[in-house]
Amino acid sequence: MNEGMVSADDGATHGDLERSVSAPPDQADVDRTLSHEEFDPKGTLALILVYFAILVGMWVFMYFVEFLGNGLTVVG
Amino acid sequence: MSTGSGAATFVDRYPEEASIVRQAFFVAFVAFGLGALFGVIQALHRTDILRFIPSTDYYTVLTAHGVLLVIVFTIFFLVGLFQWAITRSFDRPVEDIRITKAWLALMSVGSVVTGVTILLGFVDEVGISADVLFTFYAPLQAHPLFYAGLAVFLVGTWIAGADWFRSWLAWNAEHPDDRIPLQAFVVLTTMLMWYIATIGVAVAVLFFLLPWSLGLIETVNPLLTRTLFWFFGHPVVYFWLMPAYLLWYTVLPKIAGGRLFSDPLARVVFVLFLLLSTPVGIHHQYLDPGIAESFKFIAMTNTMFLLLPSLLTAFTVVASVEHGARQRGGTGLFGWLRALPWRDPAFTGMMLAGLMFAAGGFSGMINAGMNINYLVHNTLWVPGHFHLTVGTAVALTMMAGTYWLWPQLTNRRLYSRPIGLLQVVVWFGGMALMSNAMHVSGLYGIPRRTAEPQYQGFDFSTAFGSVAELNVQLAIGGTLLFVSALLFLANLAFSWGNPTTSGLGQTLPPALSGPDDSPRVLDNMRLWAAIALVLVALAYALPLGAIVADSGLFGPGGDAYPVTVVLNSVAVTAERLTASVGATLADVGGVLEVIR
Ligand code: HEM
Ligand SMILES: [Cu+2]
Repeated sequence: MNEGMVSADDGATHGDLERSVSAPPDQADVDRTLSHEEFDPKGTLALILVYFAILVGMWVFMYFVEFLGNGLTVVG
Repeated sequence: MSTGSGAATFVDRYPEEASIVRQAFFVAFVAFGLGALFGVIQALHRTDILRFIPSTDYYTVLTAHGVLLVIVFTIFFLVGLFQWAITRSFDRPVEDIRITKAWLALMSVGSVVTGVTILLGFVDEVGISADVLFTFYAPLQAHPLFYAGLAVFLVGTWIAGADWFRSWLAWNAEHPDDRIPLQAFVVLTTMLMWYIATIGVAVAVLFFLLPWSLGLIETVNPLLTRTLFWFFGHPVVYFWLMPAYLLWYTVLPKIAGGRLFSDPLARVVFVLFLLLSTPVGIHHQYLDPGIAESFKFIAMTNTMFLLLPSLLTAFTVVASVEHGARQRGGTGLFGWLRALPWRDPAFTGMMLAGLMFAAGGFSGMINAGMNINYLVHNTLWVPGHFHLTVGTAVALTMMAGTYWLWPQLTNRRLYSRPIGLLQVVVWFGGMALMSNAMHVSGLYGIPRRTAEPQYQGFDFSTAFGSVAELNVQLAIGGTLLFVSALLFLANLAFSWGNPTTSGLGQTLPPALSGPDDSPRVLDNMRLWAAIALVLVALAYALPLGAIVADSGLFGPGGDAYPVTVVLNSVAVTAERLTASVGATLADVGGVLEVIR
C-alpha cells in the first residue's frame, strides 16, 4: 500500500488516532484520473471469464456426481 | 491528501430525514440481532450439538428467524436506505414529514404485532401462536393477529412508496428536463415492482388467510394461496437485493476510489428487474401437484432470462471497482486488485458479499432448472443457497453499507474500523462453512425445516465426509455468524457514544458514462409498469385460472392445522404423517411438501 491510497487517509480530521470514516471526502487525491475513454476494463473481463470457467467446471462436476450416480428422474 | 474539511453530511443538511433513516435502521438491527440469536439456536439444535429448546418449539424459532430477518430486517433497512437515497439524490426534503413518520409508524406497529404473535408461541398458556414459517402456507394456520400485523406492515410500505413517488413528482415539476438521478431511479423502479408483487400476498392474506383464521370462511384452496404467495415470493427476493444493488452501484465505486462505469447500463438492469422478477414465481412450485408442467416450463424460461441483469451487474460493478483500482495506481491483469482499500470494512464487506453472491448464482441456477430442482427441493441445500444470497449478499452489504453511512447519518465516527473489518471477514468465513455444509447435506437428502433430521433406521449416505462432520461444520459456521452479528451490533452501539464531529461529509462521484448517454425512454415509469403488468398477466392468468377451475376459490375442503388451538407442533404432525406413509426418505420429502 503506497502513499495516496484511500486507506492511508480516510478523511478523518487531523491528529485523530482512530480513522473511522470510509474513503476520502472527495477524490482529489487519486493517483491519476481516468476518463471513460482512457479506461479499458480488461481486468473485469478476465475475472468474469474466470467465473465462467468455474461455472462450467461446476456443471460438469454436477453431471458426473449427480446424474451418472443416480437413476433417471421422469417428468410428468 | 484530503484536508478533512469534507462536505456537509446528510444529517447536517436533512436532520429530520436522517432521523427517519436512523429509526428505520434501528428497527432493522433489533430484528437482525434477534434473528441471529434464533439462527444459532437452529444451527445448534438441528445438528444435535446443543439443544436449548424442546423440539416442539422449533417452528416458533424458525418462524421468528425467517420473519424477523427477511421481512423486518431487510425491509426496514430498505426503507431507511431508500429514504436516504431519495432525499439525497433529489436534494430536497420530504414533502410532508408527517406522512413519512406515519408510514414508518405503521410498518413498526405491524411488525411488532406480527412479531409478538409469533413469539407468543413460546408461552403455551396464552394459546396464541403463529408457527407457520415465513411462507405461511395453508393448511398451516396462524392466529389472526399474525396476518393483521402483516397487512398493516404492507400498507406502511405502500405509503412509503407513494411518499417517494410524490417527491419525484414535486422534483420533476421543478426540473422538467432533467434525467431522474440514478439513486431515485432505483427506488422508483423497485417500488413499482413492489406494488405489483404485493398484489399477490395482499389478496392471499386479506381475502383468504385472514378471514379463514378468523373463522369467517371454512376452508381455503391451499394451492391458490401458495401460488399467490409465490407471485410475491420471487419478486420479494429482488426487493431484498435492490438495496444491496443500490449500494453496489452508487456507493461501492466511490469507496473503491473510482466512478460508476455506466449509468445507462445500470438503468437497463433495474428496468429488467421490474419487468422480469414477477412472472417467474412458479419456479418455487416445480414440485407442486396441480400446476401443469408447461406453466412450470414457462416460469423456468423467464427465470433464465433473469440471469441477464445479474450478469450485467457483475460486469458494471466490477468494472467500476477496477476503475477505482486503476485510478489508485493499480496495474496488471489481476494486479489492480491489490490497489483496493481492503482495510476498509465497508469496501471489503461489500466485495465479500458480492463474491458470495457469485457463488449463490451457481446454486441458484441449480434450483432454477426444473429437473435438477427435484434433487434439492426442500432439502437443506435451499437454505444453503439463500444464506448466500439474502443471508450474505444482502445482509453483509447492508452491514458494510452501514459502516459507510453511519457518519453521514450521525456526524459520529465509527467506534472501530478494525473490529468492523474483523466482523465482515468472520461473517464471510462463518457463512462459507455453514452454507457449504448445508449445500452438501442437501445433496444427501437431509431435509430443511426439521428439528431432528435423524430418522431411525436410516443412514444418510455421504460420498465424502460424514453427516457428523457436516453437522459440526454447520454448527461452527452458525456460531461464527452469530459472533459476527454481535460484533456488528456492539460496534454500532459503542459508536453511538462517540462525540459528534464536523467535516465527515462525503460526496458521491458522477458516473463515467452519464445518464445523458441513454435514451430518455428508460425514465418512462408508466411504460415499464404497464409492460410489467402485461407480462404478469400473461404468466399468471392461465395457471391461476386453472387452479380455481380445478378446485374452486376455497378448495376442496379439508382440515386446517390450527396450531393456534391445539399445541400440536408441525414436527409431531410430520412424524405422524410420515409413519403412515412409510418412512422412506423420498416420502418424507413429499410429506413435508404437502403439509408445508
Ligand atoms: C447468525 C446468522 C444465521 C444463522 C446461524 C442462520 C441459521 C439458519 C439455519 C440453520 C436455518 C435452517 C433451519 C431449518 O431449515 O431447519 C435457517 C433458515 C433460514 N434463514 Fe438463517 N441463519 C442466519 C442468518 C440469516 C440471515 C441474515 C437471513 C436473511 C436475511 C436468514 C434467513 C433465513 C431464512 C429465510 C430461513 C428459512 C426459514 C424457513 O425455512 O422458514 N438467515 N437459518
Ligand atoms: Cu425465486
